[in-house]
Amino acid sequence: MSKVTSLVPPVSLPDKDLSGLRQEVREFLNQQREAGNFKPYADTWLSRWDEDFSKALAAKGWLGMTLPKEYGGHGLSFNERFVVSEELLAQGAPVAAHWIADRQIIPNLLRYGTPEQKDKYLPAIARGESYFGIGMSEPDSGSDLASVRTKATKVDGGWSITGTKVWTSGGHKAHAFIVLARSAPQDTTNRHAGLSQYLVEFAQEGVEVRPIVSMNGEHHFNEIFLTDVFVPDNMVVGEIGEGWQQVNSELSFERSGPERVLSTFPLLAATIDEINAGRLASSSNLGRLIARVTALRNMSAAIADALQHGKPADVAAAVSKVMGTTTEGDIADEIDLLVGDESGVSDEFRELLNWSIDQRPGFTIRGGTNEILRGVVARGLGLR
Amino acid sequence: MKNLQIDTDLQEMFDSFLAEYSERGAGESGTLDKELWSQLEELGLLRLTGSEDKAGSGATWAEAQALITSLAKHGVRAPYAEHDLLAGWLVDELGLESGSVMTVGEIEGSEARRVPWASAADRIILIWRSGEEYLAQSFAPAELEIVNGSNNIGEPRDTVRVNDSAINGVSVAEEIVKQLRLKQAMVRAIQVSAALERALEVTIDHVTARNQFGRPLAKFQAVQHLVSDIAGESALAQAAKDTALLEAINSDWSGENLEFLVAVARSNVGHSASVVVRNAHQAHGAIGTTIEHELHKSTRAALAWRGEYGSVASWDALVMDRSRAAGSDGLWNLIAS
Repeated sequence: MSKVTSLVPPVSLPDKDLSGLRQEVREFLNQQREAGNFKPYADTWLSRWDEDFSKALAAKGWLGMTLPKEYGGHGLSFNERFVVSEELLAQGAPVAAHWIADRQIIPNLLRYGTPEQKDKYLPAIARGESYFGIGMSEPDSGSDLASVRTKATKVDGGWSITGTKVWTSGGHKAHAFIVLARSAPQDTTNRHAGLSQYLVEFAQEGVEVRPIVSMNGEHHFNEIFLTDVFVPDNMVVGEIGEGWQQVNSELSFERSGPERVLSTFPLLAATIDEINAGRLASSSNLGRLIARVTALRNMSAAIADALQHGKPADVAAAVSKVMGTTTEGDIADEIDLLVGDESGVSDEFRELLNWSIDQRPGFTIRGGTNEILRGVVARGLGLR
Repeated sequence: MKNLQIDTDLQEMFDSFLAEYSERGAGESGTLDKELWSQLEELGLLRLTGSEDKAGSGATWAEAQALITSLAKHGVRAPYAEHDLLAGWLVDELGLESGSVMTVGEIEGSEARRVPWASAADRIILIWRSGEEYLAQSFAPAELEIVNGSNNIGEPRDTVRVNDSAINGVSVAEEIVKQLRLKQAMVRAIQVSAALERALEVTIDHVTARNQFGRPLAKFQAVQHLVSDIAGESALAQAAKDTALLEAINSDWSGENLEFLVAVARSNVGHSASVVVRNAHQAHGAIGTTIEHELHKSTRAALAWRGEYGSVASWDALVMDRSRAAGSDGLWNLIAS
C-alpha cells in the first residue's frame, strides 16, 4: 500500500440513502429563512448564537444525532450527522450555541463520562438546552497545551481549581466547560502526565468571565478566571492524570468536520450571484477554489465515515484541517481581490465580505494551528 | 456501489513486473519498448478492460487505474491507457479495425495535434466532426502523414494528417465522443495523481536519508512542513480523482455530474502538482534537478500530464461555468450531491 493511501481514508460517493435526510434539512432551512428566523452568514459556527434556532434543530432530531437513545439522542451514524452539519454550514445557519456541545462534549462524555455526568448533560445537549465552551488554552499556553498551569488541588470531596483559561468562545452564554488542569506537578521527563479534565459550570462560585473583543468589535471569545473553584469528585471527567490522552483522543472529531472547509461557503455562494448579475467579474481562480472545496468536502466526508467505523483518523483529520482552513480563508481573500470601489455590489455583500476577511485569520489558528498540525502529519509520515 | 479496490495479488503482480522494468531503465525513452509491450500482451494486460469474448481480460477501470498508477510510479512510459481504455474501447464500440498498438486522435481543422504515441502505433483511430455528426475511422500509419512531436518527458505527441481520399468514417454518437473526452481527461488525472504520490515517497526517502548539520533533513521543522504539504496535496489530488472515477464506474460514464467531477479532479491534480513539484524539488536541493536522480521522473511527468487533454485553467473555467449555471442556490447541490 502506498503511503498516501494510508494517510487519508478512501472517498466514496454521497450515500443515496441519505438524500432524503439532506432534502429534509434543506426544506427546514428554507422555511426558517423565509420566516426571517435567520440570515445566511459566514463562520456561523463560531459567531451566530441563536438558542431558539438550536432548539428548533433539536426538535427536528438534529442535535445529539450520534448519541444513543438512552441518553436522549437518536442513535444515528456520523455520516448522517455529517450531512446535517454540512447543510447547516453551507446555508450559513446560526449554529454556534450548540456546536461545541454537540461536536465535542457528546463524544467526550460518552467515552469518559460517569453515568451521572451523562445523565446530567447529554439529554440536555440533545434537547438544545445545554451549551458548552472549551477550557484548554491559557494565556501562556497556546499551541503548547501541555504547559497549562491551571492547577487542581485535591481537597475534601473534590478538587479546588485555580487558573486562567482563554479563547473560550461563547463562554459568556454557555452553561459549562471542560477545564484541562494540572492535577500533579509537572514531570519534566513526561510533560503529558499529571493533567486531568474537570466539568465546571460558569455559574459556579469563583468563575469570572471577561470578554475578549475581536478586532472587528465582535465578542465571541472570553477569558475565564478560576479562583478556588470547587469541583466535586463526581465532576472529574475520565481518570485523574489521563487528561492529555483524553483530549487528544477526541481531536479527530474536532478537526475533520465540514466546518473546517465551509466557514466561508455562504460568501462564495453569494459571490456567484454577484458575478451572474454582472456586478463582479468572473474569475477562473474562483473555479479553482470551488474545485478545491469540492475535493476537501469529500475528504472530510471520508473521515466522518472512518470515524463511524471506529478507525483512527487523527493524521487524516490534521491533513484535512490544514488544507480546509487554508482554502476557506483563501476563498474570502480571492473574493476580496475581486471587489473594489468600482464594484456595484450591495452594501450587504460588502458587509459579508468584510466579516469573512476579519474572521479569516482565526481559521488556521483555532483547534490546533496549521503549524502544529503539519507536525502531526509529519509524524504520521514517520519524519519525527 | 462499486469501489476502486482491486485484488492484492494483481496489484503485486503489476508492481513487481514494472519494478523490473524500472530498475532496468527500460521504457523511459520516447520510443515504445517492444519487449515491455509483448510482456504486457503475454500477461493479458494490454486489453485488460476488453471484454472476454473479444480476447480481452474483462477487467474494469479499477484494475486499469491500478496498472496506470503502477506504470507512472515506476517511471515506465507506455501507451497502455491509450491502447486499452481509449482506442481499444472505441474500436470495440464502433466495430473498427484493431491493432497491436493503438491510439486515438481528434482532427480539428486539417490535422490532429499532439496525438499520443501515434508514431509508435499500428492503428490510429481518428475522430472528426462532419456537419452535424462525428465520424471515426481506424487508419494504418501508411495512410497518414505523421510528424513526430513529444511532450516534455519525451512521450510521443505527434501531429497526424489524413489524405482526403482515404477518408471513409463511420458515424459516432455524440455521447461516445463525450465519454471519450472524459476518459482521456481521467487517464491523465490518474497519471498525475500517481506521479504526485511517487514524488512524496521519493521525498520522504531523501529527507530521512540525507544528513545536514549532523541530523537527517526530516528532523528540521521547515523540511517537515514542506513534506506535510506534499502529502496533503497528494492526498487531496487522489481524493478528487477517486471521486470522479467512482462516479464514472458507477454511472457507466454517463452520470449527470460526471463532467463536473472530472473537471474538479483535473483542477485539483493540476494545482496540487504545483505545490508538490515545488516542495519536492526544494526538499531535495540541487541533486533533485539532475538526470541521474529519479525525482524528475515523477515531477516532470506530473507537469507534462496535467496540461494534456485540457489545460488546468480550462478545467477551472469549466468548474466556474457549471457553478455560475447552478447559481448561488444550486452551487451547494452541485458540490455535495
